[in-house]
Amino acid sequence: MTSPMSCDDAKGLFAEYWSGSLGEREEIAFEAHIAQCEACRRDADQLGALWRNLELIPAEEPGPGVRARFYDSLAAFRQGMESAPKRSLRDRLMALWPAQPAWQMAISFALLVIGVGAGYELRPGAAKIAPDGQESSQIAQLRGEIGNMRQMVALSLLQQQSAGERLRGVSYAYQVPASDTQMLSALLATVNTDPNVNVRLAAVDALRAFGSSPVMRTAVIQSIRKQDQPMVQIELIDLLVDLHETDARPELEKIAADGQINEAVREHAKVAMEKLR
Amino acid sequence: MNATGQVTDNAVMARVASGEVAKMAVLFERHHRALYRYFISMNRNRELSEDLVQDVFFRMLRYRASYDANQSFTAWMYQIARNANVDQAQKRKAEVVGIDEFDDRRAEPASAAPGPEEIAAKGQNIALLKRALERLPDDKREILVLSRFNDLKYEEIAAMLGCETGTVKVRVFRAMRALERVYFALQKEKSA
Amino acid sequence: MKKTKMKWMVLAGAAVSAMALAQDSENRVTVAFSNPNRPRVLVVNQVQGSVAVRGYNGKDAIIEGSHVGERRRDSDGHGGMHRIDQPGGMDITENDNTITIHGDFMHSSNITVQVPVETSLKLKTVNGGKISVEGVSGDVEADNTNGSVVVTDVSGSVVASSTNGKVTVSLTKVTPNKSMSFSSMNGTVDVTLPADTKANLRMRTDNGEIWSDFDVKVDGARPSQSIDTREGHHRIRIDKTIYGSINGGGPEIQLVTFNGSIFLRKK
Repeated sequence: MTSPMSCDDAKGLFAEYWSGSLGEREEIAFEAHIAQCEACRRDADQLGALWRNLELIPAEEPGPGVRARFYDSLAAFRQGMESAPKRSLRDRLMALWPAQPAWQMAISFALLVIGVGAGYELRPGAAKIAPDGQESSQIAQLRGEIGNMRQMVALSLLQQQSAGERLRGVSYAYQVPASDTQMLSALLATVNTDPNVNVRLAAVDALRAFGSSPVMRTAVIQSIRKQDQPMVQIELIDLLVDLHETDARPELEKIAADGQINEAVREHAKVAMEKLR
Repeated sequence: MNATGQVTDNAVMARVASGEVAKMAVLFERHHRALYRYFISMNRNRELSEDLVQDVFFRMLRYRASYDANQSFTAWMYQIARNANVDQAQKRKAEVVGIDEFDDRRAEPASAAPGPEEIAAKGQNIALLKRALERLPDDKREILVLSRFNDLKYEEIAAMLGCETGTVKVRVFRAMRALERVYFALQKEKSA
Repeated sequence: MKKTKMKWMVLAGAAVSAMALAQDSENRVTVAFSNPNRPRVLVVNQVQGSVAVRGYNGKDAIIEGSHVGERRRDSDGHGGMHRIDQPGGMDITENDNTITIHGDFMHSSNITVQVPVETSLKLKTVNGGKISVEGVSGDVEADNTNGSVVVTDVSGSVVASSTNGKVTVSLTKVTPNKSMSFSSMNGTVDVTLPADTKANLRMRTDNGEIWSDFDVKVDGARPSQSIDTREGHHRIRIDKTIYGSINGGGPEIQLVTFNGSIFLRKK
């Protein structure tokens, strides 16, 4: 027989005692200890009751979107692998380059502007933590890759034939970091050229996440008069008002005076000018 | 195959690692709920937890080649989950409000604390217990969640945390004591 | 393709002789879907006139027009030349299970199509009529400018808009995880969903009201109000846009109108 168990020795056995998974010899020794140690007996009973009650806390379930997102991403991942196993993520993204010249123009323009302004203002809350040591930089890299994954899914959905799929692409855009310039370009292109007004409206809303980007603000100002849908025009004007974009005033003035433009939109532009004064 | 006739996680992950990435769906269906529960217990943020679940599966896809089939899949997965969560926590550090540190001193004498029969009065006590768990410091909550909700073996938790199995068991005990203190404190607060 | 005496011009998509069709009468043709392995899609592009589509228990598309094209277009018979000017009349093509109808844009014509229940639709018109859909199962897109959109008894997903008309949509079943959107500039947006639909909502109206018998959980995390500061006065303005969720949240559903009201009803 070994020496009697101390309270310190016992500490390591409670967890298994509560779940009934102690070996026979350990269990006998543990019970011998609690028989003569009141404090440990109390812990064994009282904490044991709590331990059992923990199981009664109902599990929280993830939302239904989790599954859909997983399968979307898995499909995108497989597509990427199959089409070119050796190609880099960047190449795969480039493969999504749209066929329509209008899209190409829009994206090229946006990328060009982004190229000029990159680095400072385009990175609002991103990557504020200074990576301390190797692990952090690995984590940062991983986070970048996951972000790219989402971006890839979003960009590929935005190219789909069905408006419902493109709407989903827009909702993915909410999940990429606001520093993601390719996502921003794709959203701007959607706002300017998507054939479906509902998709364009959703894209305008998604642009809010990129509020601190001067590129986005400029592009939004220029987009208003190109739109053929008054609804989209009004949402764009409201976005500028919400962002307090005073640079929009000259353009709003032109819109308010432009007889070709829907009257409700012109009224909206006038009100917006007041608000941006 | 395991006792229930299912292909084991380790075997499925080995196939994913060898290039059958579509098989990741099997592992997703088996584990995404438990992973979600781990994350939501750690950060109380639904949206963030859902994102983190996605992140874990994609980290596993990207790093599938580094999976060692002799290693427990669950331990590996939670290791990745833990990294993802730590990563997020760093990002959100500034937002976290200070939480009182609860040490593991013994609880109040038994006379002041409710007896087991009162604990047996369940119902809202479970809700209280849930709140107590939420108020525990991260490391204590994590070890309880992993061992109690996610059914990880102590050896697996030890491998994840990089410590001895014995240390994990002692930490579970300490976490339970801390939980009890918070639980009773909440109960007093409520009856006061 | 054989030279056809039909008043409607029917063009096969890829394989010239592949399209199975029958002209039942002057105002009615039946077109078969050629590839059972692909989802069925019907595309209607109208400029003048209404579009009505309903599901029926059959496998072909039955197309009827109240106004038939008055001019024919022949794709052969002139030494391989194509006709360049765009005459009136209706063009119907079928390609890989997608039937596309281009309406007569010289004259107003109302188009009615019966399709197998499981068919996805992309419908568009500009002037002179409404778009109505009934009893199909699939993804429905409907775009009108000066008329209303009425979608009833549909299972699947719907994306619908009208500039000046009302948008009324009733879904019997919603495909999980599909995003949907309904918008109108000047009309009311009235949407009925199954009671257990899970969704995140974005609802906006400028001059109307928002009504629902769903238990809409308004999302406090996203800004639904903004503050105006002017001349030292603080004014809190409830934003025109409300973000929220029903049944715990799910895919995004957008409801937007400027001058109309929003009704979100439980089935």
